[in-house]
Amino acid sequence: MKKLPKILIAGALALGVGAIIAADHLDAPAVGGTSADITDYFAFESAENANNTVFAANVQSSLAGAAEFDENVLIEFNIDNDGDLVEDRVIQAIPRDGKMYFFGPYEITTTGLNSTIDETALIGSVDISTGADANTITTAGGIKIFAGLRADPFYFDFTTFNAVVGNPAGPFTGTTGPAGGFQTAENASDPFEGTNVLSVVIEVPNGLLGGTSAHPAGTGVQIWNTWVEAKTKQ
Amino acid sequence: MKLQNLKYLLAGIILTGFVSCNDDDDNTPVTIVPVPAPTEIDFSGTFAQQDQMGRAAINTVLGGTSADKNEFNVTIPSEMVDRFQPDFLNKAVALHAAFGAEYETNILGLDAQTLTTVLASDVLQVAPSVPTTYFDGTNVLTGRNLSDDVVDVSLILLFGGTSGDRFNGQTPETPILVTDNVSAGTGATGTTTFPYLVSPQ
Repeated sequence: MKKLPKILIAGALALGVGAIIAADHLDAPAVGGTSADITDYFAFESAENANNTVFAANVQSSLAGAAEFDENVLIEFNIDNDGDLVEDRVIQAIPRDGKMYFFGPYEITTTGLNSTIDETALIGSVDISTGADANTITTAGGIKIFAGLRADPFYFDFTTFNAVVGNPAGPFTGTTGPAGGFQTAENASDPFEGTNVLSVVIEVPNGLLGGTSAHPAGTGVQIWNTWVEAKTKQ
Repeated sequence: MKLQNLKYLLAGIILTGFVSCNDDDDNTPVTIVPVPAPTEIDFSGTFAQQDQMGRAAINTVLGGTSADKNEFNVTIPSEMVDRFQPDFLNKAVALHAAFGAEYETNILGLDAQTLTTVLASDVLQVAPSVPTTYFDGTNVLTGRNLSDDVVDVSLILLFGGTSGDRFNGQTPETPILVTDNVSAGTGATGTTTFPYLVSPQ
């Protein structure tokens, strides 16, 4: 939420020319719009089975134009079991010839920015979906997998945001609401409505995800720390 | 969306400084059922990180320069606080200064230092034993549903002050900063069956 037109402190808040950004949609300049661009990440209890957790990673918003998974890009869900913010388990997904292959969850020993795929942890593959019908597979171990085109769940007045923070004028820059902030409800709009993303979705029995640790915000709830990474083959 | 009830709920919570106890849950061991990998398919190689995400919008709003945002995407979570929390703090202060204001302790009772420390570790907590949600009136940061308004929650925590409603257009000179006034779209409604995300539009 950078600035009013007065631009009092533009220097301190320089976002860089062309850094059109929203919630990791159309991300930082080096990755935004590429096939390794993670646009969103969700993790929630399965509506079908309260003992399962669903992980969904979205890549490549249709706002950026691209619409196919890249065989050089590995999507990796990371799970920290002991609260040290280092991954203990991963779930990996990579496409080959129109199918998405899923590995894990499995425990890893080498952590960090670089990953390899443990082929012995392959749990299944599913045809990549391109239209309204969702191809899904339920594996022998009770894991459900999906990969393909979906409606983008993200919603945000992105055009007003760009104006509020003073990003350069562009296709997604609008005007601010009153006093330089967001719009009133009557005038707000959502440019993500009607757009699509490529989604990788996996539903996993909780027993496969390992131990939990105490919530870092002190709420007393046991949790996994989780995040998703996109990695390209070297 | 308003979080007025949250402060009562969390009045007794003491922030422990984000050092978690190693309190392994007692999950019944369940092992995956692997299938043979097709021998003709090559899964070999080393894959190097290009992008990452835990919580939506954090890097976007509180990150610094474009170079900083790029660096954030290739920093592992355990190193994020040391490297980025000071920048996040500066940005939170600057964002308020741009509107002629100072940060005010938020509805969770977090000052700017504490809030930016929580946000700098870009991970999403997910709970197996309570409802998963960004915030549903009772549960806080236990997951993220398709319909959760993460934008409003984030704006409230950053700009909402103690009431959660600090900048909401109360006067003609007061900007709306605690909400973008956009509600869940078609894609966020989700379905009740796997894969839960809605068909493409």
